[in-house]
Amino acid sequence: MNEPRLLFVDDDQEDHMIMLQYFRDAACEKHVKFLTNGQQALDYLEAIDEPAHLPRLIVLDLNMPILNGSQTLFQIKKNRLFKDIPIVIFSTSENEIEKRKCLSMGALDYWVKPVTYREGLEIVERLKPYIV
Amino acid sequence: MKEIVCVKLENDMDLILAHKRAMKLCELTGFSLITQTSIATAVSEIARCAIEYGQHAELVLGIEVIRSIKLLRIVIQDVNDFGNRCLEATQYAKRLVDEVEITKTAKMFQIVLKQKLNFPGTITAAKIDSLIEYFKNEPPLSAYDELRRKNHQLQEFAEKLKESENEYRVLTDSLPLMMFSFNNRGIITYSNKWLQNFLGSDLKDLGSTWQNVIHPDDYSRFNKELNNAMVRQIPLQGDYRVKDKNSDKYLWHLLSINPLKNERDIAVGWIGFVVDINAQKVVEQTIKDNLELKETQRQLIENQAELERKVVELNRSNYELEQFAHLASHDLQEPLRKLFFYSDLLKNKYASLVDENGARMLNNMTVAAARMKELIDDLLSYSQLQKQNMKIERVDLNEIFQDIMKDMEISIKEKNARVQVENLSSLDGNALRLRQLFTNLVSNALKYSKKDVTPVINVSSRTDGENMVISVKDNGMGFEEKYKEMIFGLFQRLHTKSEIPGTGIGLSICRKIADLHSGTVTASSVPGEYSLFEVTLPVSSHQNQPVR
Repeated sequence: MNEPRLLFVDDDQEDHMIMLQYFRDAACEKHVKFLTNGQQALDYLEAIDEPAHLPRLIVLDLNMPILNGSQTLFQIKKNRLFKDIPIVIFSTSENEIEKRKCLSMGALDYWVKPVTYREGLEIVERLKPYIV
Repeated sequence: MKEIVCVKLENDMDLILAHKRAMKLCELTGFSLITQTSIATAVSEIARCAIEYGQHAELVLGIEVIRSIKLLRIVIQDVNDFGNRCLEATQYAKRLVDEVEITKTAKMFQIVLKQKLNFPGTITAAKIDSLIEYFKNEPPLSAYDELRRKNHQLQEFAEKLKESENEYRVLTDSLPLMMFSFNNRGIITYSNKWLQNFLGSDLKDLGSTWQNVIHPDDYSRFNKELNNAMVRQIPLQGDYRVKDKNSDKYLWHLLSINPLKNERDIAVGWIGFVVDINAQKVVEQTIKDNLELKETQRQLIENQAELERKVVELNRSNYELEQFAHLASHDLQEPLRKLFFYSDLLKNKYASLVDENGARMLNNMTVAAARMKELIDDLLSYSQLQKQNMKIERVDLNEIFQDIMKDMEISIKEKNARVQVENLSSLDGNALRLRQLFTNLVSNALKYSKKDVTPVINVSSRTDGENMVISVKDNGMGFEEKYKEMIFGLFQRLHTKSEIPGTGIGLSICRKIADLHSGTVTASSVPGEYSLFEVTLPVSSHQNQPVR
């Protein structure tokens, strides 16, 4: 199966590079699909013809152009076909209110983007079960 | 009968006078010397008896014209009937004059002597007047006569004066005015009944009287003005409060004093009047008060409008500031996170490529970036404290403190601290924010503990009216009284970072959260002994009305 298992949606190209490096180090980069906004993610999901080919997890940044994180979360969760895909919010800052809002909308969790090398490793460790 | 002249018959001097007057009139009316003497003798005889036995006897000499008969008519009369006492004189007189007639009424006894005038032609009114004039202007026959005349004149004047004075008194008493006069020494010479009724009848000299009746606040002004008027001899008019002796109340009066000047323009006395103008003053004051009230009201409305404008402005600027802080901190966070991450990545993955010096620099860079991140995080969380996204519900403070103790378990253990939380109650608030508030206070208490003393933190509460006051007291290093407000300022710190870590935003957040709950937080301390933070919060959100 060559279909990506993880969708990583973030408009920040640098974060793509950082995460790609981690995934490479963990040798799982080929299972990860990088997209730059929520609309791309929705389009990508719509294009999948078979439920089995849907990603196992979606990581959503909050601040994105066109369709932001919480809007995308809302669109996915209201879609009968996609609503069961686990979604993790990946944000720059700890924001209690934003976090509650996302969890109440059905997000699996709310993670803060890594600030240290070690934190990056931990995040990849938590993502691995969905990829490998 | 036309009366020509009259003589009072009181003593012997009057008898001579009577004789002389009779002689003169007879002479003037053309009688011969013999007849003159006869008539005058008859008059003298009767008059003597009248003087001796009468009370207020008098002699009246006159002329009577009955048709063509012209008579000299001489009446000697008195209230007493002295007829019996002068029978001899009457008999004698009957031989001397044409006719003697005696009349008697209840009031008066008269003996009338009549002598036919042999005066040619008619007796005109002018003739009679000229006779009256003659006796009026006749030079006094003697010093006695003159004295008598003067006395008579004086009496007449006195009577006229009395009459005029009475009129004056009636006039001044009937006007609703208090009137008085006084001399140059200030002694009251006259006062009407209104003044006496008003001030009391004890009116002696002005000085002491006025001092007793003029309001103490007005007296010095009055005294100055009165002295000025009296020295310069000019009129005085002024408004003063004067005491009414009946009610003991001071009422506003208009006092007017004018000098009475003689022909040489020198004041010989003063006349004054006092009018009650209290009602007028009250109306004036009321109008003035009303105007002042209106002005104050207008000012108040203006101030209120200004205040509202300021509040709107303040809210806008507060909102803008919050937005700025939020955006700035949020946008700053992103590149900073990268900076921090890359330096950490460099340290972890490429450590072997740099020497010891480079590694130290890299470390310093990481530390600085971490510090900046901390500041920005704090600023962001402070800017996120906003009323609109704060849900108010019933919060059990016991649960809040249980959570806090759980969260801070590690640091409490590290410091070997004892945290005593008394039984607390519930209030309306936002659990998350209240937890943040008290976490900061407990965390500060741990942070600023004394090195060699077991930290003891006591949390208690009391009710204060509609509010609950929650106290967090420690036995730490404390702070000086003068810093008790400063410590709540944004990023204000009393210690260097190397002494005690922190950004200095903790207490700002505490105060902001208390504000959002319409409450307050205050600090007090004794340096080296304790710090006490008291958070006052409304128990019920009904009175938790936002200020904005």
